[in-house]
Amino acid sequence: MYVIEVIITNKENVRDPEGETIHRSLVIRRGFNDVAGIRAGKYLEFRVNKPSCREALEYVKELCYKLRIYNPVVHDIKVRASGSDSCD
Amino acid sequence: MIRFPGSNADLDVVWVIRKVAGVNASLVWHKEFRHGIYDAIVLPGGFSYGDWLRAGAIAARSEVMDEVGEDVLNGVPVLGICNGFQILVESGILPGALLPNTSGRFICGWVKLRLLNPRGPWLKLAQHGLVVDMPIAHGEGRYYVDEEPINRPMIKYFDTNPNGSSYDIAGVASESGLVLGLMPHPERAAEQILVPDDRTPGGLIIWRSIASALKEGW
Amino acid sequence: MPLTTEELSEIKMILGREPTRAELSMFEAQWSEHCSYKSSRYYLRLLPTTNSNVLIGPGRDAPAVKAFDRFALVFKIESHNHPSAVDPYNGAATGIGGIVRDIMTLGAKPIALLDLLFLGEPSNQYANWLIRGVVKGISDYGNRIGVPVVAGMIWFDKSYNTYPLVNVACVGIVEVSKLVNSVPEAGDLIVVAGNSTGRDGIFGSSFASKSLGSDELSNISAVQVGNPLMEKLLIDAITEATELGLIKYMKDLGGGGLATALSELAADHNLGAVVILDSLHLREGNMSPEEILVSESQERMMLIVASDRLNDLGAVLKRYDLEYSVIGYLSSDGLIKVYYRGELVANVPAKELAKPRIRLWDIEIPEEYRSLGRELRIPEVNDLSHALRKVLSSPNVVSKEWVYSQYDYEVGIRTVIKPGAGDAAVLRLMEVSEYAGIAVKGDGNPRYVYLNPFMGAANAVGECYRNLISVGSKPVAIVDELNAGNPEKPTHYWYFTQMVKGVAWMAQELKLPVVGGKVSFYNEDLSNGSQVRPVTTIVGVGLIDDVRKSVTYSLKNDGDYVIVVGVTCPELGGSEYIYRCFGLEAGEIPLPRPSSEILNGTYVSKLIDLGYALAVHDVDVGGIAAAISEMCVKGMKGVMIDLSKVPARGCSRFDEIMFSESQARYLVEVRRDCLGKALELARDLNVEVGVLGEVHGDELAIRYGDLDLVRVGINELREIYDNTLERLIEG
Repeated sequence: MYVIEVIITNKENVRDPEGETIHRSLVIRRGFNDVAGIRAGKYLEFRVNKPSCREALEYVKELCYKLRIYNPVVHDIKVRASGSDSCD
Repeated sequence: MIRFPGSNADLDVVWVIRKVAGVNASLVWHKEFRHGIYDAIVLPGGFSYGDWLRAGAIAARSEVMDEVGEDVLNGVPVLGICNGFQILVESGILPGALLPNTSGRFICGWVKLRLLNPRGPWLKLAQHGLVVDMPIAHGEGRYYVDEEPINRPMIKYFDTNPNGSSYDIAGVASESGLVLGLMPHPERAAEQILVPDDRTPGGLIIWRSIASALKEGW
Repeated sequence: MPLTTEELSEIKMILGREPTRAELSMFEAQWSEHCSYKSSRYYLRLLPTTNSNVLIGPGRDAPAVKAFDRFALVFKIESHNHPSAVDPYNGAATGIGGIVRDIMTLGAKPIALLDLLFLGEPSNQYANWLIRGVVKGISDYGNRIGVPVVAGMIWFDKSYNTYPLVNVACVGIVEVSKLVNSVPEAGDLIVVAGNSTGRDGIFGSSFASKSLGSDELSNISAVQVGNPLMEKLLIDAITEATELGLIKYMKDLGGGGLATALSELAADHNLGAVVILDSLHLREGNMSPEEILVSESQERMMLIVASDRLNDLGAVLKRYDLEYSVIGYLSSDGLIKVYYRGELVANVPAKELAKPRIRLWDIEIPEEYRSLGRELRIPEVNDLSHALRKVLSSPNVVSKEWVYSQYDYEVGIRTVIKPGAGDAAVLRLMEVSEYAGIAVKGDGNPRYVYLNPFMGAANAVGECYRNLISVGSKPVAIVDELNAGNPEKPTHYWYFTQMVKGVAWMAQELKLPVVGGKVSFYNEDLSNGSQVRPVTTIVGVGLIDDVRKSVTYSLKNDGDYVIVVGVTCPELGGSEYIYRCFGLEAGEIPLPRPSSEILNGTYVSKLIDLGYALAVHDVDVGGIAAAISEMCVKGMKGVMIDLSKVPARGCSRFDEIMFSESQARYLVEVRRDCLGKALELARDLNVEVGVLGEVHGDELAIRYGDLDLVRVGINELREIYDNTLERLIEG
């Protein structure tokens, strides 16, 4: 069983009002000025039954695309094995 | 009424307090609010700071909530409606937490509520067990608490629980009832003209209570 | 759509030289179909746009209609079809943002939103994703800005499986004396307030990609993301600034961004502008002047301010933490001069920029249309209860609660008749008087348009009119959105020209000015280039003197009578019935009947005003059978209907009477003790009515004389009506 993490964020050049607001109205406002910026996103953890870590990664990438778990027009997606597991 | 960036039901409450409760009311921009001025405070519904991070989370950490805290210590009644409830919970003035609805969807509609252990200014005229109608409109209304709160006023969903909240809780107050928070909107259920054919204006009990409490004490 | 060689040489002629890159980007934006209406202006002139109630007609960002003497209703419709096809969530959300800002440009407070959605089959995976995304987009944005979505419609059709039509409308109110309508003058300052400008909305046209200095298309942001928090702050700030009279004129920065806003403003008032782009507050550092000019970053407004009011305006904007920049001033020479880093990068005559030449495309009646079956042959139907169930369970008929319960329709505490309760939404206008109000509704039927675009579009006007009458309002004006295919394809363009004519004709007959509207072209299925089903949506408003008299359609009391107003003809063509029961989309659609609409509408209005009518429901999709079922379900009351009492002409079958979609008809619950007077009034006005039955019991029974045709329990009807849509979408 492999644990695959998926992090979905808006693409770099697509506005991120959530990250901007948390940054401006909470973090900077309350004096944590060394934070230069914040990006908000969604985190999903998949437990995948595949024989190898590489296959588990590919499997999750594919399903995220096919099922539109993220919208490739607007979102970036980082898919990685969690913690001590490593693929690649 | 304290207005945050993103509050949207503030003017509605001003209208109802003036017209239905017959009490003077002002809308105050959050930057301009100071404690020690008002006889009662309402944190209205809406989406303060867009509900980003968590509903009410950013507003709860803003300077104005320190002022509100001062007023609470001095016995000023505070009512939090919907987003206002979320802000009170996030700032620790009321216990528990508010999570996204179990359906994963925003839900707007009318519900039946039961008022339990009523005391304090906002529920002064209510009897224990009174059932009232009010509308809800929220996406993060699932009240969560580990153990059922006892010995304090509570408002529970009566026939159906629309969001999966613990113990069917729709609203909760501080032990004395001075601070009351609820997800449903009493300002939307205070005038007959707005009430659907098969319902009654259940918000009136709160507005009449505060009017009476401010005039005669509680 | 890039400029044609013709257009390019025209630009050269206008300027007397080759255009600069910045000038080219301005022309490309302004002369695009969406901004210039070059393919539609010729036909749009057919629409009746004024009467004595219209204060501001087409031409501004939104029109204004007089209401209750001292007030004006500002309302508009807009489409966001293509963005929603690419990104349903943000496309629909930013559609809401844009239409609200348009209303704000006249200083009006937005008080209601409508959504008219044309979506694919819920069982299709991609369409299902579009449906959820669009609804969530509207929900998240509309709810946050505190403007209730009070009415709308949804139509499901496989033609929209990969490409939805998303039309949104907004209504606002303002005191006539506070309308932001001063004449801009040379010397006035140009201020941009709201979001900083970034690369949002700049598509990968060959021109734009050159200026970025990078080959990666991924750097080009094709998607606009909305920030409803910013929008709410804009609403609050501009409301305050308007109260204080600080703003002379406003324009929304929408399609075409700064370029189009500047050109339209200058051209409309015989002015020019001097703009220093360096002054504009930007989100990204290295933007080129052409990118800045056509960026479609959301939540930005252009404010024209007299120079002595700038400080006060600045104070208001600052209070709400809104950024703003003074980017220039208006001039009198009719030229738009844009400076960047000290250089004059654009120098364009405003009038020529604002109005490109009209394009008149060829028209051809499509072969598909010519070969549509006009004669209906349908078998005899024995089990009419089954037919009723099929029609009632159609996604186009069932309760849309799954959708509207995701919208906060109560915020603002004005919503007297809520979604699903009446034929139109009713809102009270506290600022006018305690019980003054308006009704608002939107309609459109793509199946009718497919079978006959002229009559189909005309029927949309008729249906909107009926819905406004049904709740007890007096219809005053409409706006229209014409959704069509590719105007360069003669068979697509034909639908557009027919639809416009249909609206023009019916609007004149019903004396409804079309005070504004929009045209959306190029709505094509992305996978095969065929047009998605064209449709005209009509949004109308009506005035109500006393909202306490407004009427929902749930049956109220046992013992009351149900009457039908208007004549039923055997018009099953294009009906929901023949589609659901026989899979047919054929035949002649119901004829528009403007004289009957006025006559029957007058009668129903009187019934409501006199208090005889306790429930009113217009008859449309699904015919009398669907209408009476809905009235029963909403009131949880039964009724026995005798079809032999329906005034009918030429109907030889029971299903014709039950499911015909003949226009100009209503079902009315008349108070038991008022039936005599109601019938007398009908005789006086020469209106045909039929007394169908009495409200009682817990069943819907339909008979013809002694013959039992249908018997269904109310609980079963409710189960079908209430729960089907959720089942279809959520699975």
